[in-house]
Amino acid sequence: MKLLAKWPSEKAVRFACLLGLVALALMVAGVLLGTSLPVVASMSVAQGIGVLAGLLYVVTVAAEAARK
Amino acid sequence: MSPFGALALLTAAIAGALLVHHLVARPPLTLATRLRLLLGLGVFPFLCAVATTGSGMERTTEREFCGSCHVMGAHLKDVEDPNSESLASRHARNPMFGGHACYTCHADYGMLGYPMTKLTGMSHVWYYYGGGYRHWPLDKFLAEVRVAKPYPNANCRQCHSGTLTSFKDAKEHRAMARELEENTVSCASAGCHGVAHPFSKRKDEL
Repeated sequence: MKLLAKWPSEKAVRFACLLGLVALALMVAGVLLGTSLPVVASMSVAQGIGVLAGLLYVVTVAAEAARK
Repeated sequence: MSPFGALALLTAAIAGALLVHHLVARPPLTLATRLRLLLGLGVFPFLCAVATTGSGMERTTEREFCGSCHVMGAHLKDVEDPNSESLASRHARNPMFGGHACYTCHADYGMLGYPMTKLTGMSHVWYYYGGGYRHWPLDKFLAEVRVAKPYPNANCRQCHSGTLTSFKDAKEHRAMARELEENTVSCASAGCHGVAHPFSKRKDEL
């Protein structure tokens, strides 16, 4: 709970947005380029980064709820 | 572009626009902002990930995908040559194989065939980028690299089932029925139907 109370929500959400954009860019590259490395990255690394961005968002929402 | 690919681009564009808007406008974290972020960081990226996976899985069954690594260039060239008499090229000219010729012949079949084929494909990507094949000249690759395990006759028999009289009546098939069943003699070997990619073999292998 202490960690959630000190959670830097604004920064975390902005970082999540950046991570989300990186993940989306990798996924789009996989679809558009269609060669081995981009396709494999779009189905693995990109989705991992996307999950991380989503988790940051969830923690931020939880932190905001805990503060209230 | 496949429907999966189009869906991936559409959802990525929507999610990207929502995220860029948040980064530029920097709105306070009100309920409306959180809902917008739920769409931009949750719903649309999830849809994009699903569509990307569908598109990627489809793409990895295409001939051009296999040929996108330079060490497969000779295989791709031979398969696309309308005058080639190789076993692989003759099969690729069949519309049932066509643009998916590599996958149709090399995919494992059975219940776990699809994921096992994809896992094997991942090892090829690893060898290419992590194992140094990427920097190998084509001559060296063709001289030194061979298929990882004997080509299973069961793959041939997905189409050439071996139950027709014309198959059973061939004296070579009758004489080697056991070896064919046990995969100790390959359909695609010298003396039988010939190797699938003859240009990739040394003279003593033909």
